[in-house]
Amino acid sequence: MGGQRCRLLNSRCARTTDTAVESFFSRYRNLLALLALLVVQIVGLAVQVRRVDSGRATFDARDRAGVRLIRLWANAIVSPPERLIHASKLGAAGLWQNYLDLRHVRQQNQQLQLTIDRLRLEQAALLEDARQGQRLQAMLGFREKYIYKTVAAQVIGTSGSSQSQVFYIDKGSSDGLARDMAVITPDGIVGKVRDVFPRTAQVLAINDQTSGAGVILETTRIRGILSGNAAGQPEIIDILADQRIKPGEKVLTAGGDEIFPRGLPVGVVEKIIPDPNRDSFIQVIVKPAAHLDRLDEVLVITSTQPQFSPQEQQDIAASEALKGSEAAALNEQKKASEIMAERLPGLIDPNLPPDQQPLKDNSNPNPPPQPPLPLHPDRFTPAVAEPSGPDAGNGSTPSDSPARQNAHRSAGDRPKSPSTASRPSREPSHPRIP
Amino acid sequence: MSVLAANDRREIEVHSYPLLVYALVPLAALVLQAWLPRLVGPYVWFDLPLVVTVYFSLSRRNPLQGMLLGAALGLFEDALSHHAIGVNGIAKTVAGFLCASIGVRIDVENHTIRVLLTFLLSLLCSGIYLFIYRVLLGMDMEWRGFTELFAAIGNGLLAFLVFPLLDRAQIRE
Repeated sequence: MGGQRCRLLNSRCARTTDTAVESFFSRYRNLLALLALLVVQIVGLAVQVRRVDSGRATFDARDRAGVRLIRLWANAIVSPPERLIHASKLGAAGLWQNYLDLRHVRQQNQQLQLTIDRLRLEQAALLEDARQGQRLQAMLGFREKYIYKTVAAQVIGTSGSSQSQVFYIDKGSSDGLARDMAVITPDGIVGKVRDVFPRTAQVLAINDQTSGAGVILETTRIRGILSGNAAGQPEIIDILADQRIKPGEKVLTAGGDEIFPRGLPVGVVEKIIPDPNRDSFIQVIVKPAAHLDRLDEVLVITSTQPQFSPQEQQDIAASEALKGSEAAALNEQKKASEIMAERLPGLIDPNLPPDQQPLKDNSNPNPPPQPPLPLHPDRFTPAVAEPSGPDAGNGSTPSDSPARQNAHRSAGDRPKSPSTASRPSREPSHPRIP
Repeated sequence: MSVLAANDRREIEVHSYPLLVYALVPLAALVLQAWLPRLVGPYVWFDLPLVVTVYFSLSRRNPLQGMLLGAALGLFEDALSHHAIGVNGIAKTVAGFLCASIGVRIDVENHTIRVLLTFLLSLLCSGIYLFIYRVLLGMDMEWRGFTELFAAIGNGLLAFLVFPLLDRAQIRE
């Protein structure tokens, strides 16, 4: 009896508890759902952030698999409509430009054709120079990056936030793009590829707070790091105050960041402000050369190694053929001169010992004529001893000629004949010319 | 602004929309938010996903739906940026929840009140964004107060223009 009563009470208690729990959940359902959603997102945030050595927190440079998947989905959903809008805009613009506004097109086409022909020739010459320069640099052990291959891409969208200066382009991994490739325009650098999807890529602009590029001031040669500020302006940070830095000075890429090739235009110094956090340091606000706010087309540098297009290879081959024919003509000339040199007697053969020099060879039936020796010494020519012996009357023999004497001297073999020893000096006593 | 009594809550009209509107309007907001800055340059003084979150949360008057819509749109925005995913998500989750909760308690049929609410929630979202970055994550981030104020004004103006258009898509019984 007592047991039944207790069981009944227990069941009532349990029912009451269940009801209370149910009422609690039903009453605070929305609040609990809010808390759950917030907790999940906060945990997700904590996973994505890490502390660096300096104690600051930063985002992981590379997204984790889960985060990347979310980005991929978002991109897959947003990119097609963006492409559609962009294509519609281009289509409308193309309709006007290609079909309606065609004045002076024929003349322009002719002029452009002439320009192309001229540029093609110039390009062949310049490529040859570039290759030669590279060969020389390779010989000197100097590594330099050149832009050899770029992929043109259209800007189709942005992040939509002023805190995140990234934009999307319509080329992705299927077009050969990869992370950390430099993105430029003909005016100057734009940013780097941050993330790559199959048909799109995310580009981090140079005016973002998390971006960084090595730059150098053209005149003062001061190096610094280019980053963005809260206002979306690129600025050079971490440089000491220097009176030489003036507004208007050009800023170029320094080439040490392994992303941007050296010497590309970045912009010009707009103004110099003191660093609010550190004394004696300044921040140099840079006006970017590329129009970062109005980008339509950009170039992604996919290779800094020599890879030439078929057209470029044709041009190089043509220039090399030209160069080859010139070289062949030079070779012919060289060969002819060598043949002539072989036929003509040489004065000194460095490969032969002194006593076997060609001048000692008497096989030549027609020795070159020697100038007669002076009879009387004067201030320019020393005196010659009177001939005595069997060769008297002959004046001199080829072996006693000045050339012979000089040949002996040069070989360190001084003549020891008394006649020669009696001479006062073989060196001409030239007058000193003031 | 008239505060409703508890008995009046049942009489609050919950608006409903065609399914296509639920699908296309948030998508259009995300796409336009990503595309329009190309036209206006650096002056991104609007947040279309927030405006849409506020609108649907107020119209549906369901906190759960409001916060889920806010969370989804916020996470999408985060995914399109290069920042951590969740910052905008948290801000818009709170905004959606507050909107719907306020919609249950007060009469928000008045157009001016809705615009004012959008302005205030925009400032709140900016504050949450800053709080998460500076306090929760402990990250250095420069902040410009005027930009956020202009963004709040821009969102208010956008709400002023967009809400009447979306009202036309309501299903009338």
